[in-house]
Amino acid sequence: MTSLVNQQPHSEAIGYSFSQSTHAPNKQHSFYPYTDNGGSTLGITGADFAILAGDTRSVAGYNINSRYAPKVFKIGGDDETGEGAHILLSVVGFAADGHALKERLDAVVKMYKYQHGKPMSVRACAQRLSTILYQKRFFPYYVHAILAGLDEEGTGALYSYDPVGSYEREQCRAAGSAASLIMPFLDNQVNFKNQYIPGSGEGHALEPKKAGPLPRSTVEQLVRDAFTSAVERHIEVGDGLQMMVITANGIEEIYTPLKQD
Amino acid sequence: MSSPFDINGGACVAMVGKDCVAIACDLRLGMQALTVSNNFPKLFNFGPSTFLGLTGLATDVSTVSDLFRYKVNMYRLREERNIAPQTLANLVSSSLYEKRFGPFFVSPVVAGVNYTTGKPFICGFDSIGCIDFAKDFIVSGTASEQLFGTCEGLWEPDMSPDDLFETISQALLSAVDRDALSGWGAQVYIIEKDKVTKRLLKGRQD
Repeated sequence: MTSLVNQQPHSEAIGYSFSQSTHAPNKQHSFYPYTDNGGSTLGITGADFAILAGDTRSVAGYNINSRYAPKVFKIGGDDETGEGAHILLSVVGFAADGHALKERLDAVVKMYKYQHGKPMSVRACAQRLSTILYQKRFFPYYVHAILAGLDEEGTGALYSYDPVGSYEREQCRAAGSAASLIMPFLDNQVNFKNQYIPGSGEGHALEPKKAGPLPRSTVEQLVRDAFTSAVERHIEVGDGLQMMVITANGIEEIYTPLKQD
Repeated sequence: MSSPFDINGGACVAMVGKDCVAIACDLRLGMQALTVSNNFPKLFNFGPSTFLGLTGLATDVSTVSDLFRYKVNMYRLREERNIAPQTLANLVSSSLYEKRFGPFFVSPVVAGVNYTTGKPFICGFDSIGCIDFAKDFIVSGTASEQLFGTCEGLWEPDMSPDDLFETISQALLSAVDRDALSGWGAQVYIIEKDKVTKRLLKGRQD
Protein backbone atom coordinates (compact mmCIF):
# COMPACT_ATOMS: atom_id res chain seq x y z
CA MET A 1 0.00 0.00 0.00
CA THR A 2 2.82 2.41 0.77
CA SER A 3 4.13 2.05 -2.75
CA LEU A 4 0.83 3.29 -4.18
CA VAL A 5 0.80 6.51 -2.20
CA ASN A 6 3.62 8.79 -3.27
CA GLN A 7 4.74 10.86 -0.30
CA GLN A 8 6.93 13.84 -1.07
CA PRO A 9 8.60 16.38 1.19
CA HIS A 10 6.73 19.70 1.24
CA SER A 11 9.62 21.93 0.30
CA GLU A 12 13.14 21.75 -1.09
CA ALA A 13 14.24 24.98 0.67
CA ILE A 14 16.35 24.98 3.86
CA GLY A 15 14.13 25.50 6.90
CA TYR A 16 14.97 26.72 10.42
CA SER A 17 13.28 25.53 13.56
CA PHE A 18 12.67 29.14 14.70
CA SER A 19 11.38 30.49 11.40
CA GLN A 20 7.72 31.42 11.54
CA SER A 21 5.73 30.57 8.49
CA THR A 22 2.98 33.08 7.78
CA HIS A 23 0.84 30.62 5.85
CA ALA A 24 0.41 26.85 5.88
CA PRO A 25 2.75 25.02 3.49
CA ASN A 26 1.17 23.72 0.32
CA LYS A 27 1.17 19.95 0.16
CA GLN A 28 1.09 18.22 -3.19
CA HIS A 29 -0.81 14.97 -3.11
CA SER A 30 -0.48 12.45 -5.86
CA PHE A 31 -1.65 8.96 -6.65
CA TYR A 32 -0.03 6.71 -9.23
CA PRO A 33 -2.37 3.83 -9.98
CA TYR A 34 0.29 1.43 -11.30
CA THR A 35 3.14 -0.60 -9.74
CA ASP A 36 5.74 -2.65 -11.60
CA ASN A 37 5.71 -6.11 -10.04
CA GLY A 38 8.58 -7.36 -12.21
CA GLY A 39 9.12 -10.94 -13.33
CA SER A 40 9.25 -12.49 -16.76
CA THR A 41 7.19 -14.85 -18.91
CA LEU A 42 8.01 -16.93 -21.96
CA GLY A 43 6.02 -18.96 -24.49
CA ILE A 44 7.17 -21.39 -27.19
CA THR A 45 5.03 -23.52 -29.55
CA GLY A 46 5.68 -26.96 -31.04
CA ALA A 47 3.96 -29.21 -33.61
CA ASP A 48 1.34 -30.52 -31.16
CA PHE A 49 1.91 -28.51 -27.97
CA ALA A 50 2.50 -25.06 -26.55
CA ILE A 51 4.48 -24.11 -23.45
CA LEU A 52 3.83 -21.01 -21.36
CA ALA A 53 6.21 -20.35 -18.50
CA GLY A 54 6.82 -17.64 -15.94
CA ASP A 55 8.87 -17.09 -12.81
CA THR A 56 6.90 -16.86 -9.56
CA ARG A 57 8.63 -13.90 -7.86
CA SER A 58 6.61 -10.73 -7.26
CA VAL A 59 8.50 -7.52 -6.43
CA ALA A 60 7.84 -3.87 -5.61
CA GLY A 61 11.01 -1.83 -5.94
CA TYR A 62 13.79 -3.76 -4.18
CA ASN A 63 11.32 -5.68 -1.98
CA ILE A 64 10.14 -9.20 -2.67
CA ASN A 65 6.41 -9.35 -1.96
CA SER A 66 6.01 -13.04 -2.72
CA ARG A 67 8.13 -16.00 -3.78
CA TYR A 68 5.10 -17.81 -5.18
CA ALA A 69 2.80 -15.52 -7.15
CA PRO A 70 1.90 -17.37 -10.37
CA LYS A 71 1.74 -15.43 -13.65
CA VAL A 72 0.39 -18.23 -15.85
CA PHE A 73 -3.32 -19.11 -15.65
CA LYS A 74 -5.76 -21.62 -17.12
CA ILE A 75 -8.64 -19.91 -18.93
CA GLY A 76 -12.20 -21.25 -19.23
CA GLY A 77 -11.93 -24.17 -16.81
CA ASP A 78 -14.94 -25.73 -15.08
CA ASP A 79 -14.03 -24.78 -11.49
CA GLU A 80 -11.33 -23.07 -9.39
CA THR A 81 -8.81 -25.83 -10.23
CA GLY A 82 -9.11 -24.95 -13.93
CA GLU A 83 -10.08 -28.52 -14.82
CA GLY A 84 -11.14 -28.82 -18.46
CA ALA A 85 -9.45 -25.59 -19.60
CA HIS A 86 -7.95 -25.53 -23.10
CA ILE A 87 -6.40 -22.03 -23.15
CA LEU A 88 -3.51 -20.54 -21.17
CA LEU A 89 -2.87 -16.88 -20.37
CA SER A 90 0.25 -15.32 -18.91
CA VAL A 91 0.37 -11.74 -17.65
CA VAL A 92 3.42 -9.77 -16.54
CA GLY A 93 3.71 -6.16 -15.47
CA PHE A 94 1.22 -4.80 -12.92
CA ALA A 95 0.01 -7.90 -11.05
CA ALA A 96 -3.35 -6.45 -9.95
CA ASP A 97 -4.27 -5.56 -13.54
CA GLY A 98 -3.02 -8.97 -14.65
CA HIS A 99 -5.29 -10.66 -12.14
CA ALA A 100 -8.27 -8.53 -13.18
CA LEU A 101 -7.61 -9.27 -16.85
CA LYS A 102 -7.38 -13.01 -16.23
CA GLU A 103 -10.71 -12.96 -14.32
CA ARG A 104 -12.36 -10.98 -17.17
CA LEU A 105 -11.14 -13.34 -19.89
CA ASP A 106 -12.00 -16.43 -17.84
CA ALA A 107 -15.58 -15.18 -17.42
CA VAL A 108 -15.88 -14.34 -21.12
CA VAL A 109 -14.66 -17.80 -22.23
CA LYS A 110 -17.06 -19.51 -19.80
CA MET A 111 -20.03 -17.39 -20.96
CA TYR A 112 -19.16 -18.24 -24.56
CA LYS A 113 -19.39 -21.97 -23.77
CA TYR A 114 -22.74 -21.62 -21.96
CA GLN A 115 -24.26 -19.47 -24.73
CA HIS A 116 -22.93 -21.38 -27.76
CA GLY A 117 -22.68 -24.88 -26.34
CA LYS A 118 -19.11 -25.34 -27.58
CA PRO A 119 -15.69 -24.29 -26.29
CA MET A 120 -14.22 -21.02 -27.60
CA SER A 121 -11.48 -21.47 -30.20
CA VAL A 122 -8.03 -20.05 -29.38
CA ARG A 123 -8.29 -17.76 -32.43
CA ALA A 124 -11.58 -16.31 -31.21
CA CYS A 125 -10.24 -15.95 -27.68
CA ALA A 126 -7.16 -14.16 -29.02
CA GLN A 127 -9.32 -11.60 -30.88
CA ARG A 128 -11.57 -11.16 -27.82
CA LEU A 129 -8.57 -10.49 -25.57
CA SER A 130 -7.39 -7.80 -27.98
CA THR A 131 -10.83 -6.16 -27.76
CA ILE A 132 -10.84 -6.32 -23.95
CA LEU A 133 -7.44 -4.63 -23.81
CA TYR A 134 -8.37 -1.92 -26.33
CA GLN A 135 -11.59 -1.11 -24.47
CA LYS A 136 -9.33 0.31 -21.79
CA ARG A 137 -7.23 2.29 -24.33
CA PHE A 138 -7.02 5.40 -22.13
CA PHE A 139 -6.58 3.66 -18.74
CA PRO A 140 -4.87 0.46 -19.83
CA TYR A 141 -4.34 -2.86 -18.13
CA TYR A 142 -0.58 -2.37 -17.49
CA VAL A 143 0.43 -5.84 -18.64
CA HIS A 144 2.14 -7.73 -21.41
CA ALA A 145 -0.11 -10.72 -22.06
CA ILE A 146 0.66 -13.97 -23.88
CA LEU A 147 -2.12 -16.40 -24.86
CA ALA A 148 -1.42 -20.05 -25.70
CA GLY A 149 -3.42 -23.08 -26.83
CA LEU A 150 -3.91 -25.43 -29.76
CA ASP A 151 -5.40 -24.16 -33.04
CA GLU A 152 -8.11 -25.84 -35.19
CA GLU A 153 -5.47 -28.20 -36.70
CA GLY A 154 -4.14 -29.17 -33.27
CA THR A 155 -0.81 -27.38 -33.65
CA GLY A 156 0.56 -25.11 -30.94
CA ALA A 157 -0.68 -21.52 -31.08
CA LEU A 158 0.81 -18.51 -29.32
CA TYR A 159 -0.43 -14.92 -29.36
CA SER A 160 1.42 -11.99 -27.77
CA TYR A 161 -0.07 -8.59 -26.86
CA ASP A 162 0.99 -5.07 -25.98
CA PRO A 163 -0.90 -3.36 -23.09
CA VAL A 164 -3.54 -1.84 -25.42
CA GLY A 165 -4.37 -4.92 -27.47
CA SER A 166 -2.07 -4.91 -30.50
CA TYR A 167 -1.40 -8.61 -31.10
CA GLU A 168 0.35 -11.12 -33.32
CA ARG A 169 0.60 -14.94 -33.61
CA GLU A 170 4.20 -16.10 -33.10
CA GLN A 171 6.36 -19.19 -32.57
CA CYS A 172 8.01 -17.82 -29.45
CA ARG A 173 7.94 -14.72 -27.27
CA ALA A 174 9.46 -13.49 -24.04
CA ALA A 175 7.80 -10.72 -22.01
CA GLY A 176 8.46 -8.82 -18.80
CA SER A 177 11.52 -7.35 -17.15
CA ALA A 178 14.02 -9.91 -18.54
CA ALA A 179 12.49 -10.01 -22.05
CA SER A 180 15.49 -8.17 -23.49
CA LEU A 181 17.80 -10.87 -22.08
CA ILE A 182 15.71 -13.87 -23.15
CA MET A 183 14.41 -12.79 -26.59
CA PRO A 184 17.74 -12.73 -28.52
CA PHE A 185 18.61 -16.14 -27.03
CA LEU A 186 15.28 -17.48 -28.33
CA ASP A 187 15.85 -15.93 -31.79
CA ASN A 188 19.09 -17.90 -31.94
CA GLN A 189 17.97 -21.20 -30.45
CA VAL A 190 14.32 -21.50 -31.58
CA ASN A 191 14.22 -19.66 -34.92
CA PHE A 192 17.94 -20.39 -35.65
CA LYS A 193 18.62 -16.72 -36.49
CA ASN A 194 22.23 -16.04 -37.61
CA GLN A 195 22.79 -19.79 -38.10
CA TYR A 196 23.78 -21.18 -41.50
CA ILE A 197 24.34 -24.66 -42.97
CA PRO A 198 28.13 -25.12 -43.07
CA GLY A 199 29.60 -25.50 -46.58
CA SER A 200 26.27 -24.84 -48.35
CA GLY A 201 27.68 -21.97 -50.41
CA GLU A 202 29.72 -18.78 -50.49
CA GLY A 203 28.42 -15.29 -49.67
CA HIS A 204 24.71 -14.85 -50.44
CA ALA A 205 24.46 -18.49 -51.61
CA LEU A 206 25.10 -19.64 -48.03
CA GLU A 207 21.90 -21.29 -46.88
CA PRO A 208 20.30 -20.22 -43.59
CA LYS A 209 19.38 -23.03 -41.16
CA LYS A 210 15.64 -23.66 -41.52
CA ALA A 211 13.53 -23.21 -38.40
CA GLY A 212 10.90 -25.86 -37.75
CA PRO A 213 8.82 -27.09 -34.80
CA LEU A 214 11.07 -28.40 -32.02
CA PRO A 215 10.39 -31.55 -29.93
CA ARG A 216 8.88 -31.01 -26.48
CA SER A 217 11.97 -32.12 -24.52
CA THR A 218 14.16 -29.59 -26.38
CA VAL A 219 11.67 -26.76 -25.82
CA GLU A 220 11.36 -27.57 -22.10
CA GLN A 221 15.15 -27.48 -21.73
CA LEU A 222 15.35 -24.15 -23.63
CA VAL A 223 12.77 -22.63 -21.27
CA ARG A 224 14.75 -23.82 -18.22
CA ASP A 225 18.02 -22.48 -19.69
CA ALA A 226 16.41 -19.14 -20.58
CA PHE A 227 15.14 -18.66 -17.03
CA THR A 228 18.27 -19.83 -15.20
CA SER A 229 20.22 -17.36 -17.37
CA ALA A 230 17.75 -14.54 -16.62
CA VAL A 231 17.92 -15.31 -12.88
CA GLU A 232 21.72 -14.85 -12.92
CA ARG A 233 21.58 -11.36 -14.39
CA HIS A 234 18.20 -9.85 -13.41
CA ILE A 235 17.24 -9.17 -9.80
CA GLU A 236 13.47 -9.20 -10.44
CA VAL A 237 13.50 -12.79 -11.76
CA GLY A 238 13.82 -15.83 -9.51
CA ASP A 239 12.35 -18.05 -6.76
CA GLY A 240 10.41 -20.49 -8.92
CA LEU A 241 9.65 -21.51 -12.50
CA GLN A 242 6.08 -22.36 -13.38
CA MET A 243 5.69 -24.15 -16.71
CA MET A 244 2.31 -24.98 -18.25
CA VAL A 245 2.32 -27.40 -21.17
CA ILE A 246 -0.85 -27.66 -23.26
CA THR A 247 -1.36 -30.75 -25.47
CA ALA A 248 -4.38 -32.57 -26.92
CA ASN A 249 -4.47 -34.51 -23.62
CA GLY A 250 -4.93 -31.36 -21.53
CA ILE A 251 -2.76 -29.06 -19.47
CA GLU A 252 0.25 -30.21 -17.47
CA GLU A 253 1.77 -27.95 -14.81
CA ILE A 254 5.46 -28.28 -13.87
CA TYR A 255 7.01 -26.29 -11.00
CA THR A 256 10.76 -26.18 -10.40
CA PRO A 257 12.60 -23.99 -7.89
CA LEU A 258 14.92 -21.21 -9.08
CA LYS A 259 17.60 -19.33 -7.11
CA GLN A 260 16.17 -17.16 -4.30
CA ASP A 261 18.97 -14.53 -4.17
CA MET B 1 17.46 8.20 -24.41
CA SER B 2 19.44 11.47 -24.30
CA SER B 3 22.14 9.77 -22.22
CA PRO B 4 25.57 10.33 -23.83
CA PHE B 5 26.06 6.55 -23.74
CA ASP B 6 23.06 5.99 -26.05
CA ILE B 7 23.57 8.66 -28.74
CA ASN B 8 25.92 6.84 -31.13
CA GLY B 9 25.09 3.21 -30.23
CA GLY B 10 27.38 0.19 -30.35
CA ALA B 11 28.15 -3.07 -28.60
CA CYS B 12 31.23 -4.91 -27.39
CA VAL B 13 31.79 -8.32 -25.76
CA ALA B 14 34.78 -10.33 -24.51
CA MET B 15 34.90 -14.03 -23.57
CA VAL B 16 37.36 -16.47 -22.00
CA GLY B 17 38.10 -19.91 -23.48
CA LYS B 18 40.73 -22.58 -22.82
CA ASP B 19 44.11 -20.80 -23.15
CA CYS B 20 42.46 -18.19 -25.37
CA VAL B 21 40.22 -15.12 -25.24
CA ALA B 22 37.92 -13.49 -27.79
CA ILE B 23 36.78 -9.90 -28.14
CA ALA B 24 34.17 -8.65 -30.59
CA CYS B 25 32.30 -5.46 -31.48
CA ASP B 26 29.69 -4.20 -33.93
CA LEU B 27 30.49 -1.66 -36.66
CA ARG B 28 27.63 0.85 -36.44
CA LEU B 29 28.05 4.57 -35.82
CA GLY B 30 24.83 6.52 -35.52
CA MET B 31 23.33 9.82 -34.44
CA GLN B 32 20.24 8.74 -32.48
CA ALA B 33 18.17 6.71 -35.01
CA LEU B 34 20.17 7.80 -38.09
CA THR B 35 23.05 5.54 -39.12
CA VAL B 36 26.05 7.63 -40.20
CA SER B 37 28.62 4.88 -40.82
CA ASN B 38 28.74 1.10 -41.01
CA ASN B 39 32.51 0.90 -40.64
CA PHE B 40 33.32 2.17 -37.14
CA PRO B 41 35.30 -0.53 -35.29
CA LYS B 42 35.42 -0.23 -31.51
CA LEU B 43 38.40 -2.54 -30.86
CA PHE B 44 41.96 -1.23 -30.49
CA ASN B 45 45.23 -3.13 -30.36
CA PHE B 46 47.81 -2.30 -27.65
CA GLY B 47 50.39 -5.06 -28.07
CA PRO B 48 50.75 -8.50 -29.67
CA SER B 49 47.96 -10.05 -27.59
CA THR B 50 46.26 -7.16 -25.77
CA PHE B 51 43.06 -5.46 -26.95
CA LEU B 52 40.83 -2.66 -25.69
CA GLY B 53 37.16 -2.38 -26.67
CA LEU B 54 35.39 0.98 -26.26
CA THR B 55 31.67 1.68 -26.52
CA GLY B 56 29.73 4.82 -25.65
CA LEU B 57 29.99 8.37 -26.98
CA ALA B 58 31.89 8.12 -30.30
CA THR B 59 33.95 11.28 -29.78
CA ASP B 60 35.15 9.86 -26.45
CA VAL B 61 35.81 6.45 -28.05
CA SER B 62 38.23 8.18 -30.47
CA THR B 63 39.74 10.45 -27.80
CA VAL B 64 40.23 7.66 -25.25
CA SER B 65 41.69 5.23 -27.82
CA ASP B 66 44.16 7.95 -28.94
CA LEU B 67 45.02 8.74 -25.33
CA PHE B 68 45.81 5.11 -24.57
CA ARG B 69 47.80 4.71 -27.80
CA TYR B 70 49.99 7.58 -26.51
CA LYS B 71 50.19 6.19 -22.97
CA VAL B 72 50.95 2.62 -24.08
CA ASN B 73 53.62 3.86 -26.55
CA MET B 74 55.26 5.81 -23.70
CA TYR B 75 55.08 2.69 -21.50
CA ARG B 76 56.74 0.57 -24.22
CA LEU B 77 59.57 3.11 -24.71
CA ARG B 78 60.25 3.41 -20.97
CA GLU B 79 59.96 -0.28 -20.11
CA GLU B 80 61.31 -1.70 -23.40
CA ARG B 81 58.61 -4.39 -23.38
CA ASN B 82 54.98 -4.78 -24.36
CA ILE B 83 52.16 -3.97 -21.94
CA ALA B 84 50.42 -6.89 -20.24
CA PRO B 85 46.60 -6.94 -20.24
CA GLN B 86 46.57 -6.67 -16.41
CA THR B 87 48.79 -3.58 -16.58
CA LEU B 88 46.61 -2.04 -19.28
CA ALA B 89 43.57 -2.67 -17.08
CA ASN B 90 45.13 -0.74 -14.19
CA LEU B 91 46.25 2.04 -16.56
CA VAL B 92 42.70 2.33 -17.93
CA SER B 93 41.24 2.35 -14.42
CA SER B 94 43.53 5.09 -13.04
CA SER B 95 43.27 7.19 -16.21
CA LEU B 96 39.47 7.13 -16.12
CA TYR B 97 39.37 7.95 -12.40
CA GLU B 98 41.49 11.05 -13.04
CA LYS B 99 38.37 12.39 -14.74
CA ARG B 100 36.14 11.42 -11.77
CA PHE B 101 33.97 14.56 -11.95
CA GLY B 102 33.95 15.05 -15.73
CA PRO B 103 34.20 11.55 -17.09
CA PHE B 104 34.67 10.18 -20.60
CA PHE B 105 31.35 8.59 -21.58
CA VAL B 106 32.82 5.20 -22.47
CA SER B 107 32.46 1.61 -21.18
CA PRO B 108 35.83 -0.04 -21.83
CA VAL B 109 36.60 -3.77 -22.09
CA VAL B 110 40.11 -5.24 -21.91
CA ALA B 111 40.93 -8.69 -23.32
CA GLY B 112 44.26 -10.44 -23.82
CA VAL B 113 46.56 -13.33 -23.07
CA ASN B 114 49.38 -12.55 -20.64
CA TYR B 115 52.64 -13.13 -22.55
CA THR B 116 54.63 -14.26 -19.46
CA THR B 117 52.08 -16.51 -17.73
CA GLY B 118 50.11 -17.50 -20.85
CA LYS B 119 46.87 -17.00 -18.88
CA PRO B 120 43.81 -15.49 -20.56
CA PHE B 121 42.53 -12.21 -19.04
CA ILE B 122 39.39 -10.13 -19.52
CA CYS B 123 37.86 -7.29 -17.56
CA GLY B 124 35.37 -4.45 -17.95
CA PHE B 125 35.04 -0.94 -16.47
CA ASP B 126 32.42 1.68 -15.76
CA SER B 127 33.04 5.20 -17.10
CA ILE B 128 35.04 6.22 -13.97
CA GLY B 129 37.32 3.21 -13.90
CA CYS B 130 35.80 0.67 -11.50
CA ILE B 131 37.13 -2.70 -12.71
CA ASP B 132 34.91 -5.73 -13.16
CA PHE B 133 37.15 -8.84 -13.20
CA ALA B 134 35.17 -11.68 -14.76
CA LYS B 135 36.08 -15.32 -15.26
CA ASP B 136 33.54 -15.84 -18.05
CA PHE B 137 32.52 -12.82 -20.16
CA ILE B 138 32.24 -9.03 -20.20
CA VAL B 139 29.63 -7.05 -22.13
CA SER B 140 29.26 -3.33 -22.85
CA GLY B 141 27.30 -0.92 -25.01
CA THR B 142 23.65 -0.23 -25.87
CA ALA B 143 23.02 -3.96 -26.43
CA SER B 144 24.47 -4.95 -23.05
CA GLU B 145 21.17 -6.36 -21.71
CA GLN B 146 20.73 -8.49 -24.82
CA LEU B 147 24.39 -9.58 -24.60
CA PHE B 148 23.95 -10.63 -20.96
CA GLY B 149 21.09 -12.89 -22.06
CA THR B 150 22.86 -14.50 -25.02
CA CYS B 151 26.24 -14.87 -23.27
CA GLU B 152 24.69 -16.35 -20.13
CA GLY B 153 22.81 -18.81 -22.34
CA LEU B 154 25.58 -19.80 -24.78
CA TRP B 155 28.87 -19.53 -22.86
CA GLU B 156 30.49 -22.60 -21.29
CA PRO B 157 33.91 -23.07 -19.65
CA ASP B 158 37.11 -24.23 -21.43
CA MET B 159 36.09 -23.74 -25.06
CA SER B 160 38.60 -24.26 -27.89
CA PRO B 161 39.45 -21.21 -30.06
CA ASP B 162 37.08 -22.41 -32.82
CA ASP B 163 34.20 -23.01 -30.39
CA LEU B 164 34.89 -19.68 -28.72
CA PHE B 165 34.71 -17.89 -32.09
CA GLU B 166 31.36 -19.50 -32.91
CA THR B 167 29.96 -18.72 -29.44
CA ILE B 168 31.03 -15.06 -29.28
CA SER B 169 29.85 -14.49 -32.87
CA GLN B 170 26.41 -16.01 -32.29
CA ALA B 171 26.06 -14.17 -28.97
CA LEU B 172 26.97 -10.80 -30.53
CA LEU B 173 24.95 -11.15 -33.76
CA SER B 174 21.79 -12.33 -31.98
CA ALA B 175 22.12 -9.57 -29.37
CA VAL B 176 22.64 -6.67 -31.80
CA ASP B 177 19.70 -7.84 -33.95
CA ARG B 178 17.45 -7.00 -30.97
CA ASP B 179 19.02 -3.55 -30.47
CA ALA B 180 18.14 -0.75 -32.88
CA LEU B 181 21.34 1.19 -32.09
CA SER B 182 23.83 -1.65 -32.73
CA GLY B 183 24.69 -3.97 -35.62
CA TRP B 184 25.59 -3.38 -39.28
CA GLY B 185 28.35 -6.01 -39.24
CA ALA B 186 30.86 -7.10 -36.65
CA GLN B 187 34.56 -7.62 -35.99
CA VAL B 188 35.92 -10.57 -33.97
CA TYR B 189 39.43 -11.19 -32.64
CA ILE B 190 40.44 -14.63 -31.32
CA ILE B 191 43.57 -14.23 -29.19
CA GLU B 192 45.83 -17.19 -28.38
CA LYS B 193 49.29 -17.10 -26.76
CA ASP B 194 51.17 -16.58 -30.03
CA LYS B 195 48.40 -16.19 -32.59
CA VAL B 196 45.70 -13.60 -33.22
CA THR B 197 42.92 -14.26 -35.73
CA LYS B 198 40.77 -11.37 -37.01
CA ARG B 199 37.44 -12.09 -38.67
CA LEU B 200 34.80 -9.78 -40.16
CA LEU B 201 31.14 -10.80 -39.87
CA LYS B 202 28.50 -9.46 -42.27
CA GLY B 203 25.41 -9.83 -40.09
CA ARG B 204 22.08 -8.14 -40.84
CA GLN B 205 22.44 -4.84 -42.68
CA ASP B 206 19.41 -3.10 -41.14
